Amino acid sequence: MSLLKLEHVTKRFGGLTAVSDFNLDLQEGELVGLIGPNGAGKTTIFNLITNTYLVSEGKVILGGKDITGMKTDRITAEGIARTFQNIRLFGELTALDNVRTAFHLRLKSSVLSAVFGLPGYRKEEKEIDDKAMLLLKTLGLEKYKDDLAGSLPYGLQRKLEISRALATNPKVLLLDEPAAGMNPEETLALAALIMRIRKEFNLTVLLIEHDMSLVMSICERIVVLDHGVTIARGLPKEIQNNPEVITAYLGTGDLYA
Amino acid sequence: MDRRMKLILTIVSLLVFILLLWLAESYMDPFIKRILNVAAIYVILGVSLNLINGFTGQFSLGHAGFMSLGAYASALLYMSPALKATNFFIEPIIWPLSEIQIPFFFALLVGGAIAAVAGFAVGAPCLRVGGDYLAIVTYGFAEIIRVILNNLQNITNGPLGLKGLPTYTNLYWSWGWALFTIFFIKKLVDSSYGRALKSIREDEVAAEAMGVNLFKHKTLAFVIGAFFAGIGGGLLGSLLMTIDPNSFNISLTFQIVMIVLLGGLGSITGSVVMGVSIAFLMELLRFVESPMTIFGLTIPGISGMRMLIFALILVITVIFFRRGLFGQKEFSWDWIFRSKRRNAE
Ligand SMILES: Nc1ncnc2c1ncn2[C@@H]1O[C@H](COP(=O)(O)OP(=O)(O)O)[C@@H](O)[C@H]1O
Ligand SMILES: [Mg+2]
Repeated sequence: MSLLKLEHVTKRFGGLTAVSDFNLDLQEGELVGLIGPNGAGKTTIFNLITNTYLVSEGKVILGGKDITGMKTDRITAEGIARTFQNIRLFGELTALDNVRTAFHLRLKSSVLSAVFGLPGYRKEEKEIDDKAMLLLKTLGLEKYKDDLAGSLPYGLQRKLEISRALATNPKVLLLDEPAAGMNPEETLALAALIMRIRKEFNLTVLLIEHDMSLVMSICERIVVLDHGVTIARGLPKEIQNNPEVITAYLGTGDLYA
Repeated sequence: MDRRMKLILTIVSLLVFILLLWLAESYMDPFIKRILNVAAIYVILGVSLNLINGFTGQFSLGHAGFMSLGAYASALLYMSPALKATNFFIEPIIWPLSEIQIPFFFALLVGGAIAAVAGFAVGAPCLRVGGDYLAIVTYGFAEIIRVILNNLQNITNGPLGLKGLPTYTNLYWSWGWALFTIFFIKKLVDSSYGRALKSIREDEVAAEAMGVNLFKHKTLAFVIGAFFAGIGGGLLGSLLMTIDPNSFNISLTFQIVMIVLLGGLGSITGSVVMGVSIAFLMELLRFVESPMTIFGLTIPGISGMRMLIFALILVITVIFFRRGLFGQKEFSWDWIFRSKRRNAE
């Protein structure tokens, strides 16, 4: 079943067309890779899906519902969560509070009920605490719950961003270069982690990644972007041997450069 | 330390505090009482501005505007019809304000509510602008309020202001409201709503992507902050006994901003400590505005010298102690007892 669909999505920044006529049909449960050289327009596509940038043309459809132009926080509530290429944690909040914040969108209690600690709120807050701790445990971060997010090492920050995204209870998870800055060992562990959470949380994943070994090993399908144009799509094997893709990557013929 | 112990400590210190209030109210000299009242009002203003500027990260300069709304609205409600008649001698006050008189407490609440509505009206359109622009827009709002107060002759008595206000404000009212403000805002910032506010301060883009409704939460901060500013304004009006449109100018906002910055953006404890300190410092430093003789040189009294000194302190703080006295730290019993133990070692 089609879960997330992008139809003829185009984004122009002034004279620059960052994304042009982009189409994608993410099936439920799929893990699709989005690759392409720097400046190809990958992050822009994430920003268009979440309406952080308004699309110039085209439609974004989630589970049959047109979400084009819907407010970003509503889209998150509808079930799309993301991480950021240049980590955007709440640096001065603890790891636990980062995750707890992402549960806020489902809070039912009113402000006054929260301020005066009424039973309804206390119950919800307790549930948030438990779920947040569980998420931190799932990602192996429980030791760091009281550390300020900004003070954590890089690799842990990336993981914390993933757990924060999971806290919004998404159907679709958008990961923007989660392996950036990781060594091969960490990248391997990350691949295992992505596979595990996908199963555990019933996720459909769209993954932007530069590390080809990661993309080739875990993605079921790959879409290649260059200068905003989709130049190839297919199975990892097909992409690997696609001459156009190889030229796009500096023409070196080495995807693993 | 367990929760029950902390609760007991809190209740005991509250009782001691109330006892001290009673002693102060009954036996202190009026001059000191006045400073203590001002201190409480500064606490209310500092803590409420901190909610907007420190916890939510929206740099507002509108506090004096909200205060003046609270002060005028409440005064016009608790003044007796006779007092209004003597005040409004140029142009009579409009009906039904000319007839209405309600108890101080309810007048304060209405004042706070009107300020809160203004908080919404300013907060909502301001959300599109951020950072420095917000500061300018909110400052502009406060100025507009001042101009309006100056010109609504038959409602506000214009530039003449309101004189001979009854002094309802005493230490019970002022510190009662101060404690309530601290309680309310502390509970708020520690709640799920508070985390949403802080996430906006930390990173708006990420906050929104995590499902935080920016509009709702920024206006929430403005509405609550403005409400308590309105209450503070109402208390101050009844303490000063006179208000006019210029009582609430940018230099008042500046003082409150200073309390927040010196205490620490995002520390309620800091705003409380600095609110009280500034109230006393303002009095202690009064001497610098009187004529003095240094090395045979006579300097005439310069009014505004105090503000100059404060401005200097502020500049030094912002440059060298960016996070203020407390940073984002808060008082807690754990913290007290831990530091005691450390000292004992
Ligand atoms: N907010 C923006 N304003 C103007 N140009 C932008 C903006 N965001 C991205 N771009 C441009 O769009 C193009 C694609 O950028 P991006 O999506 O970040 O690439 P990628 O993630 O594939 O490296 C680049 O040329 C970039 O400069
Ligand atoms: Mg990118």
